[in-house]
Amino acid sequence: MIVASNLCKSFGELQVLRDINEEIHTGEKVVVVGPSGSGKSTFLRCLNLLEQPTSGQIFFEGQDLTDPKTDCNRLRQKMGMVFQQFNLFPHLTVRRNITLAPTTLGLQTAEEADENAMRLLTRIGLADKADVFPRKLSGGQQQRVAIVRALAMNPDVMLFDEPTSALDPEMVGEVLDVMKELAREGMTMVVVTHEMGFAKEVGTRVLFMDEGEILEQAPPEEFFSNPKHPRLRDFLAKVL
Amino acid sequence: MAWLTSLWEAVWHWLSTAIFAPIWQEIYKTVIEAGRWRFYVQGIGNTLLMAAVACLIGVAIGLLIAVVKVVHASSGEKPKGWLRILNWFANFYTTIIRGTPMVLQLLIIFFIVFAAAPFHMAIYVAALAFGLNSGAYVSEIIRAGILSIDRGQVEAGRSLGLSSAQTMRLIVLPQAVKNILPALFNEFISLLKETSVAGWISVVDVTKAGDLIRTRVPNFSPLLVSAAIYLAMVLGLTRLLKGIERRLSQSDRR
Ligand SMILES: Nc1ncnc2c1ncn2[C@@H]1O[C@H](COP(=O)(O)OP(=O)(O)O)[C@@H](O)[C@H]1O
Ligand SMILES: [Mg+2]
Repeated sequence: MIVASNLCKSFGELQVLRDINEEIHTGEKVVVVGPSGSGKSTFLRCLNLLEQPTSGQIFFEGQDLTDPKTDCNRLRQKMGMVFQQFNLFPHLTVRRNITLAPTTLGLQTAEEADENAMRLLTRIGLADKADVFPRKLSGGQQQRVAIVRALAMNPDVMLFDEPTSALDPEMVGEVLDVMKELAREGMTMVVVTHEMGFAKEVGTRVLFMDEGEILEQAPPEEFFSNPKHPRLRDFLAKVL
Repeated sequence: MAWLTSLWEAVWHWLSTAIFAPIWQEIYKTVIEAGRWRFYVQGIGNTLLMAAVACLIGVAIGLLIAVVKVVHASSGEKPKGWLRILNWFANFYTTIIRGTPMVLQLLIIFFIVFAAAPFHMAIYVAALAFGLNSGAYVSEIIRAGILSIDRGQVEAGRSLGLSSAQTMRLIVLPQAVKNILPALFNEFISLLKETSVAGWISVVDVTKAGDLIRTRVPNFSPLLVSAAIYLAMVLGLTRLLKGIERRLSQSDRR
């Protein structure tokens, strides 16, 4: 579904991604782990072109995102993204946060979008918050709304960049639960996280990233029980 | 108590003959005699008209320039060619406007750019000149307001498939307005006072009205009356804008 080929990204002199070749298939739940500063966010943000790769290509459903002729906005509609800092729109109600993109882009009528938003909010137990502004919600609630805001576009893949890292510990569970449910429903997911429990439980494949390279990857059982690369062993020793 | 009353009467008599009567006479000569107030009324109308039109032009130009600069700055290492040209023009514009005096800009626009404009059109040319000038300053205000919005907001908008224009219009600008308004209101108030150089191209604004009357009533009062009129307009506008600002911030606290 997503193919990154010879993906490189530098910020000025600093080379953050070094020639990454990776393929994400429909239905996979790929978990990306690694020390901070290793380029995980940059990798994820290159996948939907929030960062412009310095060189290399990104294909999404067969189309080359890095080709200037490609309509990135269209393709992004099918790639939901959830951010560490939630990034809800503070000037809009929860409902409007969810319906803004589908109605603006003419994908749903106002009534359809509204119905859809209420259905999604009911699923995460926040239907009663539809008409409040985001700042009235707890961090966990905000992140759950951010997830359904992305889902309202009916994406084919969901990208998560450390969705629980900015949350108080007692709110991590509620967000992970929503993500687990999403995984059970068969959503294709790419998740950058430090939650090793989530990686073990939900991941179909775990990638270890360090200094801009994917040093090792394996299904979670093998990844955690039989790490091969010394840097991965170091990393796991620190986080587990 | 009788002596107190007579003292008061004496003081009052002195006040009215030595102070109030001359002042009243001055004001009468300056404002009422020979219908001179009509100059001031005309002046107030022209000053307000120029300020209002210039304000609209200034906001329109300022918004355009600010968006060009912000989009250019955020488009990474290699912006598209047309964007580079627009950005170059925006920089050129703000540099020229902010680097030269207002009066000179007014004269150049009236006598060179609009060399053929008849004098009764002078007020519109003046409004345009003030608007072009204000636009350069407003652009900086709006740019700062846009930059005050967290990058994550743009990223969230773009990740949902919205174009950069849609993200700007629906997500960034509505949030930036709150940071922009106070500075923008100050700019409006400065603008009202800056129109006082319109007399250079023979527009009868509040300043020019006072100046014209001064030639008939050769004293200090015509200009003081002009000053008092500006002061009243500025205080009135300040109150109005503060009221609007307060109402907006209340509706924002929901
Ligand atoms: N916009 C940027 N400009 C300059 N350097 C950046 C930018 N974004 C990230 N970096 C740098 O790239 C490196 C990788 O960052 P990131 O992808 O965020 O790592 P991770 O998500 O794994 O913690 C870091 O050294 C970071 O400082
Ligand atoms: Mg990161």
